[in-house]
Amino acid sequence: MKEIAITAYKCKKCGKLHYPFHDRCLECKGREFEAVKPKGNATLLTYSAIYNLPWGFDQRYLILGVAEFENKVRAMGQIKVGSIDELKVGLKVKPSWEPVRVLNGEDVYGLKFEPIR
Amino acid sequence: MRDVAIIGVGMIPFGRRDEDTLMDMLAYASLKALDDAGLGDKGVDAVYVANMGGGMLQHQSSIASSLVDRLSLLPAPADTVENGPASGASAIKNGLLAVASGYYDLVLVVGGEKMREVTGWRATDFVATMTHPQAEYPYGITLPGMAGMFTRLYMEKYGVTREHLLAVSLKNQEMGCLNPYAHVEMALDRKGIYDSPHAVVNNPISADPLHLYDLCPVSDGAAAVVLCPLEMAEKFNKHPVVISGFGQATDTHTLAEREDPTDLKAVTLAAEQAFAMAKLKPSNIDVAELHDAFTILEIAESEHVGFFKKGEGGKAVVAGKTRLGGQIPINLSGGLKARGHPVGATGVAQVVDIVWQLRHELPENRQVKNAKTGLTVNFGGFGNNVLCFILRRAQS
Repeated sequence: MKEIAITAYKCKKCGKLHYPFHDRCLECKGREFEAVKPKGNATLLTYSAIYNLPWGFDQRYLILGVAEFENKVRAMGQIKVGSIDELKVGLKVKPSWEPVRVLNGEDVYGLKFEPIR
Repeated sequence: MRDVAIIGVGMIPFGRRDEDTLMDMLAYASLKALDDAGLGDKGVDAVYVANMGGGMLQHQSSIASSLVDRLSLLPAPADTVENGPASGASAIKNGLLAVASGYYDLVLVVGGEKMREVTGWRATDFVATMTHPQAEYPYGITLPGMAGMFTRLYMEKYGVTREHLLAVSLKNQEMGCLNPYAHVEMALDRKGIYDSPHAVVNNPISADPLHLYDLCPVSDGAAAVVLCPLEMAEKFNKHPVVISGFGQATDTHTLAEREDPTDLKAVTLAAEQAFAMAKLKPSNIDVAELHDAFTILEIAESEHVGFFKKGEGGKAVVAGKTRLGGQIPINLSGGLKARGHPVGATGVAQVVDIVWQLRHELPENRQVKNAKTGLTVNFGGFGNNVLCFILRRAQS
């Protein structure tokens, strides 16, 4: 399985966690950060099934959500599930790093979440 | 700082305008506003043009330079203002500050967008370019998708229901039928989109839990205003309307980074600034145009600007408090939901509709009797750049 290639940033001054990157801390304006990798499984915070997709997605629908990892990193990802009815806020999900779309003939990798059954 | 008045307004009907180019639409709306002010052949001191997608959709840049040439307003200084779906209000802000500071006297502000030239697939992608390029866009997120996620959280936290969202759709599309400038002039039947087996087909899920009729249409259109110092306004045709309050605030780019994603902080801050400047309270406002790109946003914004407590906005719509004759009439134009949402035009169109209200120029079935104050909210990104104006009818 591929390593999850996103990095969060913890402010060295006040400890606030950021993802994605900011040049200055959103809390204290600090400029030094410690790189933090998302850790463990995640909890689904919200989600939606989208039926009107943007250019580049040749499929009927897409289920997306925002989840929070065990070390509090929050990120968006696609959700691997047969039906949105299988989801609820607070569901535990397992992250993986997989192709999320194709751009210019190349796979673009990103986060996917799958319910832990 | 000088008080600034709106002395001329113009709009062209929103919808699918295959016969017009983007520049045609901007020119038509501008001429209507200049004529409304009674400027005749006079020039203006500066022009601000709101447009989000000319570069991407029409392969055209330097829109403002092109427009002043087309309108023979040369050598007026001209700038294009791009701030996503809040471009319109941002352009008015630029005009407001330029006149208030004393630098310019007569300023034309026009907003326009031509979105129906491309397929829905491309238009959806164009709007999605507002999302974060690494943390959101690659996943296929769309603005309706953002709104779907936001709605789910708002439903869980505040008890908003599909009934509440439906009440916004029904109200705004009913009002759209009365507005000759509206893109959608089709009243909705509750049974057809909610209460019958046919509703699944007529009103399918678009971005769960939002359905097709929770979303605004993709539109072409343009709207314009002319500004000048209040002390000069009497020289012109129409009863002046004063921009008495203004506020603008920003929030995190990604929804996920907001501590409480249901809290639209930029809306609250922009409204607080506007109310402080106008020395008014939400209860002093007679009529409002809110940015209902999605039905949930009319409800959430009505709470965040202070018309209703959190959790009460949905119930207020169902109770008729936001209809004509209600506690605070909202989106009597039909809102983005029915007037349409040509992104660069919307913020200007909202102000035009409020000006018509405050001049008492609308037909009885849309006019708030004796309206003296109005408010607009123009919502950029997913609430990451929001502008609020408070307008008042100048004293006679």
